[in-house]
Amino acid sequence: MRSLLSFAVLVLATVVSAISTTGDRLLVVLDDAAEQAGYSKFLGDLKSRGFKLSFETPKSESLSLFHLGERAYDHVILFPSKLKGLGPKLTGQLLLQFLNADGNILVALGSDTAASTALVSLLTELDIHLPAERTGLVVDHFNYDSVSAPDKHDVLLLPPPGSHRPGVKDIFSAGAPSDQVIAFARGVGATLGAGELLTPLLRAPSTAYSYDPSTQAETVDDPFAAGEQLSLISTFQSRTSARFTLVGSAELLADKWFDTEVQKPGAAKAVKTFNREFAKRVAGWTFQEIGVLRVNWIEHHLNEVGGSNETNPKIYRIKNEVTYAISVSEYAWDAWTAFSVPPNDVFQLEFSMLSPFHRLTLQPDAAHSTPDAAAFTASFKLPDQHGIFNFKINYKRPFFTNVEEKNTVSVRHMAHDEWPRSFVISGAWPWIAGIGATVAGWLGFCALWMYSAPVSGKKTQ
Amino acid sequence: MRLSQSVSSVLLLATASIAQAASSWSFDEGLVSIAARKGADGVKEKLNAKTPLSKPISLGSSDALKVALTAKDNGKGKRPHQLFVVLKDKDSGLEAPFPLTTKESGKAVVQITQKDIPVQLLVATKPLEVSIVIGSFGSAQAYNSRVFDVQIKTDPTAPAPSYEKPVRYGPKPEIHHIFRADPQSPPKIISLFFAAAVVATVPALFLAWLILGANVNHLSKAISAAPLSHASFFGSIVAMEFVFFMYYTSWNLFQMLPVAGVVGVVTVLSGTKALGEVQSRRLAGER
Repeated sequence: MRSLLSFAVLVLATVVSAISTTGDRLLVVLDDAAEQAGYSKFLGDLKSRGFKLSFETPKSESLSLFHLGERAYDHVILFPSKLKGLGPKLTGQLLLQFLNADGNILVALGSDTAASTALVSLLTELDIHLPAERTGLVVDHFNYDSVSAPDKHDVLLLPPPGSHRPGVKDIFSAGAPSDQVIAFARGVGATLGAGELLTPLLRAPSTAYSYDPSTQAETVDDPFAAGEQLSLISTFQSRTSARFTLVGSAELLADKWFDTEVQKPGAAKAVKTFNREFAKRVAGWTFQEIGVLRVNWIEHHLNEVGGSNETNPKIYRIKNEVTYAISVSEYAWDAWTAFSVPPNDVFQLEFSMLSPFHRLTLQPDAAHSTPDAAAFTASFKLPDQHGIFNFKINYKRPFFTNVEEKNTVSVRHMAHDEWPRSFVISGAWPWIAGIGATVAGWLGFCALWMYSAPVSGKKTQ
Repeated sequence: MRLSQSVSSVLLLATASIAQAASSWSFDEGLVSIAARKGADGVKEKLNAKTPLSKPISLGSSDALKVALTAKDNGKGKRPHQLFVVLKDKDSGLEAPFPLTTKESGKAVVQITQKDIPVQLLVATKPLEVSIVIGSFGSAQAYNSRVFDVQIKTDPTAPAPSYEKPVRYGPKPEIHHIFRADPQSPPKIISLFFAAAVVATVPALFLAWLILGANVNHLSKAISAAPLSHASFFGSIVAMEFVFFMYYTSWNLFQMLPVAGVVGVVTVLSGTKALGEVQSRRLAGER
């Protein structure tokens, strides 16, 4: 079974090369087809990775996210639009429906054009908040590009984001030299709600702030948000693993910033931006090319000497020793690879009935791992409680698709003949002796009653 | 003393800004004060752009922390675009910026009470770091430096501020099921003692019968009168006990029932005969 599966994976891997796990139909929405030229490298990278790009304008008659109730595209990129609303084909509700139907959306904004109302209503649904005037400008007087914005300070230079927090895989800047910078030009910052589905991919430096250039040109006494509260690139991953990314600066994806040299104030020399690789990773994550997990197989069996050898039995007994194993792969751009748990993170198994009775760390199982699938295993003793239990995997981490697996088994109580016999229980010895005494007494009584002669000298009448 | 300090700092600042070709932001006439609402004597400290205050300032629940300063670009009072007082919890790294109300001349002031401070910072145990950030457009170098610490003193009579961290996906604590304790037996010596006491009742019973004159003298008489019945009746009683013993040790109910049935039929059939013989002895006055 397992070899068949891996063969199928192999076949799949050879047929499909360099493409998202959820499809290759990509819709690019631009105000004007001529704007394509400004993003030619970014869009070219997508095309070379195997996406089939369709270009539309928001006003286009032929534009439709759905066809006969099915998604017409797998992914959507929305570049900044000057329109106040995006028209009847791209309402906030429709975009939300698209997300609900497991489509992925990448939205790019810019500070020179206010976000359209359709987008704001979508963002509000996701608990991502833009300034009230639908636009803003993020500036930082400490980390700006002294080549292109020596006066306005609106081109932020940021180090690659690194790991979001301990235990989260660093998929956006791994392998990047530490002196690399990301140019974030004329962008909008957002604040995020407290939900666990939202993750800021790129935060503003602590000295940055967002203001409204039209009303706060002189001094800023009431900034929309400042410091690390300000999320420059925000991500949202739904419970069904559909992905949404809000890039505050569309220029981050533009050719202009892909290979430009930038220089921090006071820095000795100018450096090339990390934008091209970073944009590739942000788009790759959004369109499910990286950070995608897949469960290949799950196996559990009795782990007792002389016990049954059955795989995935429906029933166990309380206090049985059981082994559970799961195989997980991670998609990396064009192939499935063995999933490795990020440092400081653990892959956990729950054995639960309503609430978990056991929550254990799954250990890597090298014996059952292959280059494209990593096996993890845990052995434990079932609880002394009978009922319907689940082997449950609930691995939800930022930037990884959700892994939720449930295998139901019954756990029965001890059968009457599985208990220790009463003669090995020392406390039962007086009772066993009592039975023996009763038997001896009964036999003696029967013999006496039948065969005893009357005592001589005693009258019998 | 303080005057000379500030003079020297101004001098230092001047020399520093001369040394650097570009101008830079700083502040002067910095003053931090605690205005206590209850009329208690407020604390007043001068702030220095170069060196932070050595002692933390404590902020009570009804106090207001007031920071006033004059922002200067290269020694000249000027209004910067960004003038924030930033409170930072060193442990969590959380920050709360408070923009100052700034005049054209660079004079700026802000008043912070505990109500303004986010609860995440109120629950911090260590003093919060207070830094001043001054920055504006153009080439002037921005200023960002810690100037003093503030210790939050929450009202002991009011309920303490509580903060629940938002849910985040991540590893959860491990759970290992706690098994019920195995059933316990008393010490073996006690079980053995009572088992022996129970067993001892059998000889005691037989001894008591003997003393009362029990005997088996009529055995030969009975056997000779009805040999087959007596042998099979008593034998079947013994056999029934054996059946029960086998049921306890190895047989199951379906093995035991037919055998018990056969033995039982033997008991009934031979019993009528054997007990009839016993009755005949009783009627003969021999019992």
